[in-house]
Amino acid sequence: MGDDANLHPAVELRGIDKSFYGVKANDGVDFELKRGEVHALLGENGAGKSTLCSALAGLYRPDAGEILLDGSRVHFRTPKDALAAGVGMVYQHFRLVENLTVAENLVLGHQDLPVRVQHRRQERIAEEMGERFGLPVDPSARIWQLSVGEQQRVEILKLLYRDVQVLILDEPTAVLTPQESNQLFTTMRRLAEEGRSVIFVSHKLAEVKQVSDRVTVLRDGRNAGRGDTADLSPNDLASMMVGRELRLPRRETATEPGEVALEVSGLRMAGDRGLETVRGVSLQVREGEILGLAGVAGNGQRELAYGIAGLRTPVAGRVEVAGRDVTRWSVRERIAAGTAYIPQNRLGMGLAPGLTTEENLALKSYRRPPYSKRGRLAAGAFRAEGARQIEQYDIRGVRPGLPIRLLSGGNLQKALIAREIETEPRVILAVSPTRGLDVGATEAVREHLLAQRRRGAAVLLISEDLDELLALSDRLAVIYEGEIVGEMEAEHATADQLGLLMAGHREERSA
Amino acid sequence: MNLRLLISEPRGLTPLWVKLLIPILSVLAAGFVAGVFLYITGETPSAVYAHMLRSAFGSSRGWSETLISGTPLILTGLAAAVAFKMLVWNIGAEGQFLMGAIAGSGIAIWLGDGVAPGLALPLVVLAGCAGGAAWASASALPKVYLGTNEIITTLMLNFIALRLMEYLIFGSHSPWRDSGFSTFPSGRPLPEGARFPEFFNRLDIGVFIAAAAAAGAWYLFNKTRWGFEVRVVGDSENAARYAGIKVPGKILGVFLLSGAFAGLAGALFVAGPAGALDPRSLNLGLGFTGIIVAALARLNLLAVIPVGILLGALNNAGPSLQSIGVPTATVTMLEGGILIFAVAGEFLIANRLRRVRARRAVALQTAGEGGGG
Repeated sequence: MGDDANLHPAVELRGIDKSFYGVKANDGVDFELKRGEVHALLGENGAGKSTLCSALAGLYRPDAGEILLDGSRVHFRTPKDALAAGVGMVYQHFRLVENLTVAENLVLGHQDLPVRVQHRRQERIAEEMGERFGLPVDPSARIWQLSVGEQQRVEILKLLYRDVQVLILDEPTAVLTPQESNQLFTTMRRLAEEGRSVIFVSHKLAEVKQVSDRVTVLRDGRNAGRGDTADLSPNDLASMMVGRELRLPRRETATEPGEVALEVSGLRMAGDRGLETVRGVSLQVREGEILGLAGVAGNGQRELAYGIAGLRTPVAGRVEVAGRDVTRWSVRERIAAGTAYIPQNRLGMGLAPGLTTEENLALKSYRRPPYSKRGRLAAGAFRAEGARQIEQYDIRGVRPGLPIRLLSGGNLQKALIAREIETEPRVILAVSPTRGLDVGATEAVREHLLAQRRRGAAVLLISEDLDELLALSDRLAVIYEGEIVGEMEAEHATADQLGLLMAGHREERSA
Repeated sequence: MNLRLLISEPRGLTPLWVKLLIPILSVLAAGFVAGVFLYITGETPSAVYAHMLRSAFGSSRGWSETLISGTPLILTGLAAAVAFKMLVWNIGAEGQFLMGAIAGSGIAIWLGDGVAPGLALPLVVLAGCAGGAAWASASALPKVYLGTNEIITTLMLNFIALRLMEYLIFGSHSPWRDSGFSTFPSGRPLPEGARFPEFFNRLDIGVFIAAAAAAGAWYLFNKTRWGFEVRVVGDSENAARYAGIKVPGKILGVFLLSGAFAGLAGALFVAGPAGALDPRSLNLGLGFTGIIVAALARLNLLAVIPVGILLGALNNAGPSLQSIGVPTATVTMLEGGILIFAVAGEFLIANRLRRVRARRAVALQTAGEGGGG
């Protein structure tokens, strides 16, 4: 590029509009990215950050507005067009071929791929690139063997392999430990020093302050502020982001916990590949208590939840609810015994995507009156009960006959939680209940969990969000490679300590 | 620069008129394509279609024959629709139909003469359902408990059922074979008491049984607890397991129900228009045509009734084309075309098309030159 190009910003977005189903995700958004900077795109979930990035990356076509690269207008039809122009994005859901190696994933889809792929050479290139950018991965490893953090590195390497100048990272730290996040930030700085530009999408203020040069804030699909990061305090950023004072609900002073409601002892569970991923977990949750289980995704949390909910038979160990051994009970029996389960996978597990909201709200109680009598469904009860819960739990966007999958993430979670707590369960199993939700919905979810705690429910909160765990839990436990590696009172816990435990540094070993 | 481009995007709720319009357009489009072929072969498409309409609906005899042809198609369409709704790909309605016919005629022959119709006919109907369901279970049980692919097993079992029927009539001296004829083997006529009485030309009450079966299936799926569980399983097996629904049992139940409907079609056919287990009148691909019925009915369990009758009309009109020198295969072509357009139409039901102003892709033109391009 000549001097001319330096006059223009690397990327300029002007007046981007994009609607989905009549809802404006982006409404006249402007955005400017300089060459060699890390630019944070900050906003609540649902503020339009991902939509804006997807428009720049060629995944969506904006309804209106223009995209300029180095001062020239461009129109991307597909992500491939964007890549050819030097713009690439790492999505929240990785797009890697699980059965191929790291090196193979890098060259996949590359236009100049020779007829005969020289694996050795590709692997060497991959390794050199990894070292150069501080993204170490074994180039001959297959994707499924890698941790989430390593897979993310492969995604970034994939873009660098194509010599992408503008990298968009959509919520990259959501799946990382604090230590891994720091490593990623180092990489981002290095890329910027090389003259590349990085768009860092996040809703975490501390990270934005730590890594970015400039920041653009979105709220409700519109620009809500921008500036040099150094000039803006976390408070400034928060009020731009939320448009009001931010106060997330926190656990009030400790209540006196009651009887043990959920007891897991020596539980061993097999993962999808048959390997044991839960290796002797023992936990106790009392009535009126929230036990937070911290851990990086993929350390056995999902299988542990399946074991408690009854979705997978344990290899060994026991699960007791209110003193009764339910280890061999069916899912239905456990639901009847008062186990509620808010799974991480909302659509396709917690909710049946193609069914209506009313039907989904009845998914746990349709067997009983008033929903059904002697095998017959009462359509009136579905409507009446549905309408009441939609009103009570403030579930928005519901229309008669509309499949629930067309609701927004926050409303999906409200519906799911409504159904789960409506039956006043004894034990609530909540897995990443606020993941991907905006501040308003997060607030509502946390409020519900705390209310259930006050009511006397035993809550097992499995999450990767340390702030959330620290804010809500009475006690904390950390799971690493299928084992509990630490347990503590929440008052004495710090994020650093938890982060170390999550990364596998055991307290007793570290000495 | 002013080129306009058609893009597609997912619909939220599909309006009812679109759902109704697309199947109608599918039929018209198939008619148009077949018309082009007819024109090329020197026929006048409008005359051919007019002739078909007349022979299907132009007389009371035409109507009754249309309903007779439609009866098995309503049921095989229903068999396909209930299975496909659950993502169970039972394409074995053909074999299940034949097994229903074998079982239905078998019990009729076993009961022999002198059994009151009030007893014999329900038994024939039940035997037909049981025969179809049993044949389906040969695919359903391995699918549910061993994870075999039902597309392959149901397809293969079609041929086995066909060969079994041929063996019973052509290859052996089974009770199904008419011992009176030795020159050319054929099926033994069913006893009078096991035949549905005709009340309108050759029409019997089979068409009402088929329609009632469709209505019953609709009620079962939409108004009962079992149906609700089935719909959850069909939508998301994970959500069903999560809600405590036993998924294997539901899949098995729907699979057997699907087989029972196809088997019922076979029983109604042998106890109705065919009157015997006769390979020549049974081997018409009625099970496969059921897949077209289900697709055109968009898996709506009530819509299979009119759609089954419509395709029955086509089947009925086919042979009469020979009298004006047009090959019967025209009907096969029309049915194939309908299936293709109906499946293609699904895209339009799920997505809507919108015209947008087109711009050149990846055009790296400067903003200043943009107007001149």
